Amino acid sequence: MKIVVCVKQVPEITDVKVNPETGTLLREGVDAILNPFCEYALDHAVRLKSIHRSMEIIAVTMGPPQARSALLRCLELGADSAVLISDRKFAGADTWATALTLAAAIKGAVPDFSLILVGKQAIDGDTAQVGPELAEILSLPQIMYGVEMHLSPNRKRLRAKRETEDGYEVLEARLPAVVSASKGERIRRLPSFRDVLAARRKKLTVITADDLALEEKDLGLQGSYTQVVKVFPPAQKPGGIKFDDLEPEVAARKIAAYLRQEGFV
Amino acid sequence: MHKISTRLTPFADFNKIRCVEGFERISREYPTYLTDESKLSPEPFDYLFFPCDEAELGAIFREMSARRVKVTIAGARTGLVGGCVPTSGALVSLENFDRILSLCYDDRAGEWRVQTQCAVCLRALNAQSISKNFPDVERCGDQPALQALSRFKQDPASYFYPPDPTEMSASIGGTVATNASGARTFRYGPTRDWVRGIRVMLPNSEILAIPRGKYFASREGEFLINDTGGKCSRVKLPSYRMPQTKNTSGFFSAPQMDLIDLFIGSEGCFGVITEVTVALLKRAEKISIVQFLKSDEQAINLVEALRNEKTIQLDFLEFYSGNALDLLQKRQAQDPKSVDMPAIPAGAGAALFFEFSFEPMADNPDYTALEETIKRCGASITESWAAYENRELQRMKNFRHILPETINAIIAERKKQCPELHKLGTDLAVPNEHLRDMWKGYRDGLDEAGLQWAAFGHIGDNHIHVNILPRDANELHRGLKLYEQFAAMAVEFGGTVSAEHGIGKMKIKFLELMYSPKQIQEMRALKLAFDPGGLLNPGNIFKS
Repeated sequence: MKIVVCVKQVPEITDVKVNPETGTLLREGVDAILNPFCEYALDHAVRLKSIHRSMEIIAVTMGPPQARSALLRCLELGADSAVLISDRKFAGADTWATALTLAAAIKGAVPDFSLILVGKQAIDGDTAQVGPELAEILSLPQIMYGVEMHLSPNRKRLRAKRETEDGYEVLEARLPAVVSASKGERIRRLPSFRDVLAARRKKLTVITADDLALEEKDLGLQGSYTQVVKVFPPAQKPGGIKFDDLEPEVAARKIAAYLRQEGFV
Repeated sequence: MHKISTRLTPFADFNKIRCVEGFERISREYPTYLTDESKLSPEPFDYLFFPCDEAELGAIFREMSARRVKVTIAGARTGLVGGCVPTSGALVSLENFDRILSLCYDDRAGEWRVQTQCAVCLRALNAQSISKNFPDVERCGDQPALQALSRFKQDPASYFYPPDPTEMSASIGGTVATNASGARTFRYGPTRDWVRGIRVMLPNSEILAIPRGKYFASREGEFLINDTGGKCSRVKLPSYRMPQTKNTSGFFSAPQMDLIDLFIGSEGCFGVITEVTVALLKRAEKISIVQFLKSDEQAINLVEALRNEKTIQLDFLEFYSGNALDLLQKRQAQDPKSVDMPAIPAGAGAALFFEFSFEPMADNPDYTALEETIKRCGASITESWAAYENRELQRMKNFRHILPETINAIIAERKKQCPELHKLGTDLAVPNEHLRDMWKGYRDGLDEAGLQWAAFGHIGDNHIHVNILPRDANELHRGLKLYEQFAAMAVEFGGTVSAEHGIGKMKIKFLELMYSPKQIQEMRALKLAFDPGGLLNPGNIFKS
């Protein structure tokens, strides 16, 4: 049984800065990391594999050559092999062109996959579109915002607990399916030094546009239906109020008074 | 050359210097200036000054000398031995000396150097060096400084300042005055090794500019210092030999030594360091490993094996004792997010934490020598954590930091029942050949006394911080006795009573274990030669 985990390399952004002239994210001096939600997706794959030992986890990303480092991180954290889809022709791809490229690469490199896991969104673009689009392109059932995942004993179906606006839903889908992860381990994993060394001996395949059953008009900027007109940081939310070092009784009174004052109770 | 002349400072009006008067007002409005990280309580003092430049500092010295008021100097107040906690008189905070002044490339040494005022903190110095973004230099308008900065920016390599005394909010001047060291001293040496020049204000308010490599002690172990009034002071170096370990106990002394080294680590006894020029080093990518082991003894075996394996060049080599890991495991069980690490393996009885160069994108990295060394000690690299991304390296560093934090929290809780309690943290180092003896001494003493303890720190430099956690006043008393025994044992092994924290006001009696009365008298004479009126930092190193 093969699980494909689609991942993205993103800038480690804690404080978004935008070039006011070009409207693009300032990435200078910012480290590139594996998107945290993609790491959660990988977590779920590794957890499933810890129960179903014969599983194979394949990490896939579309990106420039340096995105290889995000794949190495996946290989350190438990992926068995990795695929880097990289070509100048993919440049400027919007979410649709990205999903189309990923779908074609997965069909070519891992045609016998049973499950595709993705992060619910990337922390740079925050669109949360690639996962659902991938499911549509591949005509697969999709469960988005998963927080828990279990396979049926015969491995034909997957049950996932997903976040909703009001709470949680438990859904089941037949496999193959696409599932996105919105939460994983609370504490991020750390590889052992053996994992780090072993990752560098695992198979990492590079796929270019020529390897895909797609026409050039479907790729990159040409294949994109949307275009980013402007990027701007969201307005800062006002910070909350924090009471430190208070006896529980005093703290409770203060909170109650605040809730009354704001009209919540 | 062993003769040096001082320079005058410009005049400043004493009455215009920012000053807070009266202990009551200082305590009420400026409580953070009352102590440092030692948490030592101050004796009442009368003035808190905030000079803006050398001229103002000089005016304070002149006025305080005339009034026979002693002066204590404060940097970032991160010291652990009460060096900047006043015993009387005046406290001078140097926090306004906070500009990075210039960069230059020294062709002869082949290195980049940064000239900075003394209050610039290590975090800022490193952040600006790494990002090559020096706002103070950009604004200075000085053409040579701007040209050097432009050349620095064009250099494709990335640079950093290697000394890392864990507390990166420490000021550069404070770290030079105390010869601060830390984990990376294992490879890069202490602060001393990176200082290329200093400006020092002497108690007579005149300035010495000392570049490294220009002024050396005479064969008789002397320096001659001429002031602008024509007076010549003869400075005689102490005759003792320094221990062959990391050391911050007593003034630096060596045959024909460089004058700059006398000021580095002198804990402000001779003068105030107002400016520092330090060298930067090229940065390389690193990997940090926490290697879990079965026992403390296995950890010591691995330390010795790693020392003997010359193909592995470690940047630091740190230790967590088994009982230190127990404390962290308990904290993980109560609040896993506060530790932010995967579960510590159940069978872990100790750990070593080390770092070395690593190229993440290299195709076939070969670390067979390291793997084999670990295997020969009965351990496995499968039982480890590894990190090389910046955010993950920081996570490892936080994990190292969280241990003393956990110990401090336990003591703070116990203090509620018994206010006089405090942590007892050793700072002893011994030469390589006595690491095992010293460790046996610690264990035997602590186990026999039945005290709670945990050990961590710079085992690569045979410099383990044994922390005793007393539960009541009786245990505190027994712990203090034991600490003295450990200090005497370290001296017996040719080590030091203070490897990195310094002597300050809290370890004076330990200094007396390490040096004879005659040697301490030589140190006093040296202090008197620079500071005949005893103006500066009373109570540091010597009883006042």
